Amino acid sequence: MSDPGEAEGKEVCVVDDDLSVLKSMAYLLASEGFKVRTFSKAEDFLAHASTHHVPVVVTDIWMDHVTGLELLARLCAISPHTKVIVITAREDLAARATAMAIGPVAFFMKPFDDEKFIAAVRDALAEH
Amino acid sequence: MNNPTAREQDHNRSEEQLDLLQTITMEVAAAGDLPSALEVVLREVCVKTGWVLGHAWVPNPDAGVLDLVAAWYCGDGELKPFRAVSDASQFKPAVGLPGRVWESKQPAWVEDVTNDPNFPRSAAARTAGLKTGVGIPILSRGKVIAVLEFFMRESRIQNEQLVKVIAAVAAQLGLVMERKRAAEELARTNEILQSILSNMGDAVIVADKGGNFLVFNPAAERMFGKGAMQMPSTEWSHRYGLYLPDKVTPFPHDQLPMTRSIRGEEVDNVEMFVRHEKAPHGLWTEITGRPLRSASGDVLGGVIVCRDITQIKEEEFLRVGQSRVLEMIAADAPLVDVLTSLVLLMEGQAEGLRCSILLLNRDGKHVRHGAAPNLPEAYVKAVNGAAIGPRNGSCGTAMYTRRPVVVTDVMTDPLWTDYRGLAKICGLRACWSTPILAAQGDVLGSFAMYREENRGPQPEENRLTQIATHIAGIAIERQRQQEILREREARISLAAESADLAFWILYPEQNAAWMSEKGRLIYGFDSNLPLTCDLILSRVHPDERAAVKAAYDRACALSGTFESEHRLLLPYGKTRWVIMRGRCLKDEEGNLLETIGVTLDVSAQKQADLQLQHQREEMAHRNRVSLMGEMTASFAHELNQPLTAIANNASAARRFLEHGNIDPVLLQQLLQDMVADSQRAGEVIRGIRSLVRKEPSVHTLLDLNSVITDTVRLVSSDVLNRESVITTELDPQLPQVNAALVQIQQVLLNLIINALDAVEGLPPSERRIIISTRSDKGDVAEVCVRDFGTGLPKDRPDKIFDHFFSTKQKGMGMGLTIVRSIVEAHGGTIVAENAPDHGARIIVRLPAVRAQTQTTAVA
Repeated sequence: MSDPGEAEGKEVCVVDDDLSVLKSMAYLLASEGFKVRTFSKAEDFLAHASTHHVPVVVTDIWMDHVTGLELLARLCAISPHTKVIVITAREDLAARATAMAIGPVAFFMKPFDDEKFIAAVRDALAEH
Repeated sequence: MNNPTAREQDHNRSEEQLDLLQTITMEVAAAGDLPSALEVVLREVCVKTGWVLGHAWVPNPDAGVLDLVAAWYCGDGELKPFRAVSDASQFKPAVGLPGRVWESKQPAWVEDVTNDPNFPRSAAARTAGLKTGVGIPILSRGKVIAVLEFFMRESRIQNEQLVKVIAAVAAQLGLVMERKRAAEELARTNEILQSILSNMGDAVIVADKGGNFLVFNPAAERMFGKGAMQMPSTEWSHRYGLYLPDKVTPFPHDQLPMTRSIRGEEVDNVEMFVRHEKAPHGLWTEITGRPLRSASGDVLGGVIVCRDITQIKEEEFLRVGQSRVLEMIAADAPLVDVLTSLVLLMEGQAEGLRCSILLLNRDGKHVRHGAAPNLPEAYVKAVNGAAIGPRNGSCGTAMYTRRPVVVTDVMTDPLWTDYRGLAKICGLRACWSTPILAAQGDVLGSFAMYREENRGPQPEENRLTQIATHIAGIAIERQRQQEILREREARISLAAESADLAFWILYPEQNAAWMSEKGRLIYGFDSNLPLTCDLILSRVHPDERAAVKAAYDRACALSGTFESEHRLLLPYGKTRWVIMRGRCLKDEEGNLLETIGVTLDVSAQKQADLQLQHQREEMAHRNRVSLMGEMTASFAHELNQPLTAIANNASAARRFLEHGNIDPVLLQQLLQDMVADSQRAGEVIRGIRSLVRKEPSVHTLLDLNSVITDTVRLVSSDVLNRESVITTELDPQLPQVNAALVQIQQVLLNLIINALDAVEGLPPSERRIIISTRSDKGDVAEVCVRDFGTGLPKDRPDKIFDHFFSTKQKGMGMGLTIVRSIVEAHGGTIVAENAPDHGARIIVRLPAVRAQTQTTAVA
């Protein structure tokens, strides 16, 4: 599913416990030439992030076992430079406020505008 | 040569002897009894014939010996010792001189008793100087009644002449004695006869051929009246009251038992009613008569024996009377008639007796007239309706105290204060009343006896009272029971007519049937249409006819009961819901006689039931719709996931195409994923729709564990939204249940939402809900939803299932009510309780479907 595109070899990580959503996210990013690494479990991603440089992660905020908010908090400790883009399937102002306080660069409601999402990913990578 | 002296002597002796005979005959005839007669004989013989000593011996029949009963001695002191010896002697037959004569019945002459070998008194005789002895028997009817013994000092050969004279004297004595004894015997027999006749209870009357009375014993006088004896029997019937058993027709003279006996007839057991001055109430007698005949067989007269059977007759009349009253009771004669007959029967048993029966009203406080045919109407009226009490006359007091009350003088007795004036006018002086009790002891009324003289009851009257109260009790109780029965029947038929109830009887053998009017209305039959079993069955709705027939046939086969709820299809297409109940009756041989039963029209009820069910479904539906509102976040999430994937994939495909580097395989993959996600979204929509849709629920085999998992997933977004946690502890051995999926989901959703509401006020870390399952012996699948909230009302945890009960601001308070109705409709139970530490626990138990046991078909 890798597609060498415009990206400068920089990898985008995607975390979502919904496999079909995870897969579709990977296709969408790949179609714009991003290199994508997918994780269905937050723990697996955190393990990856502790050993690899992760410039950007796209994560669902509600997942089983470890919530997206928890992931954000732990990622801050492991990899403070990683840019975080949050996607969520539901409107929840409290969750959004918490997430923003921790520091994601973008926040999207599912289903989201693909153009804005791609732009957000590009911007995040560009900041590195 | 003739010796003139000797001849002269002979002549003298003969004269002496004749004189002797004459004297003895006269004296003996004058003597009162045998001993005195014997004494006369001994004296005369000794004096006139020159013997010094004479003894008389009489047989003692008990000892079988002769005893000395009389003796005569010429005044010679020397003879005294011999007399003493004789006095002390007894002779057996053939012993001594007396014994010898006794046995031989012949005279005996002993020349010298001092030398006789058979003379035990020889020594005494020697001392007394006695020589010659003679013994003579006195015979009566061939029996020796006495032995005479004479002695003299000289030894003399037997003098035949002398012996003959003495024997003649003895024979004379025997005759006299015999005659005397016969006269005595006759006198004694007469005495006995008189005594018997005087003392016997039966009347004995003897009459001669002319009808003149010869014997009329005291009992006869008592029976037929004094002076009856002086009356010629021909005038008996009309001068003295002799009647046929009808008590009014005079007994015909030519049929009188005495008349018939004199005619030579034998008369047996003729009943006669007798009434005369001394027996004004009359008496009953039973007469037996026989003719009196001479030795040659000629009729000399007649004898009759009359037995007084008055008491037996009265007993019989009383018994017959009782039977008659009891028959009236059995034939359901009106109570008034029965009681009146009873009172008249009792009054007939004693002269001057008047009786009454009062009834106690069912209020137990007032009396009612029962029967008093011979009491004045004014008195009866005054008593009717009076209250009972401790001082309310004889009857009112008897009923009140439940004991007999004897008032011997109504003029002075305090119980009669209120009725005294009336009693005086009516001539009542004594009144004894006894309560009439039912078998169970309830007072039914009272039986009273009235007299016009001041006295208490006699034993016979007490006996009558006992009989009367017993019979009256039976009559009144029976009448009461019938009243109750009639009332009950009236109530039942009223109920049957007012309820939509049909009565029917089927006679399957004849294919005939009967049905009440109401039944014909329910079944739509005309009043005059002849009914058959088939016709009735034809009214059953075609869809249910076979099942109804099968249930009926089964009941007939087992001679049991059957019950069926089904529809009737009436002409013009109208339908009715009915419940039919019947019982099959068989005869002793087990043949089906008939089926009786009822049919109840339950259409209205059925309509109400359907309406109620509809309302319940409507409520359940509204509950599900409102649940949807509670779960918007979850549904949004569930839908947004596939929609996001579809949007992403579509966008990716478009981008690949724009970049011109689309791999067909990749494109196919993207399209395939989009289809899958669309379907997934469709599933979610379908799930929502099924919860909201109004459709009859279908029961299937369900695994509650997976239903719980799916449901928890369904609400997961809302649970996360509420920062709560649901954990499940599921028993892998949980048996399946037969249930409607949507309804079970509804139950779970309600319980989960409820639990979420319960933990809402707690810090997020405490917002925990545990859903657990377990199997209870494989019979029951149990689901427990436990929260750690504030718990349930302490007084009545199950109040939460009531309508409109809510502890929450939002909501209708209907959720748990619906939950309970769903669980119960599944044959399950639901319990709400407070958990031991804190929070609440709601436990649902549903009957498990047992794993199908292996059934091996046996060939």
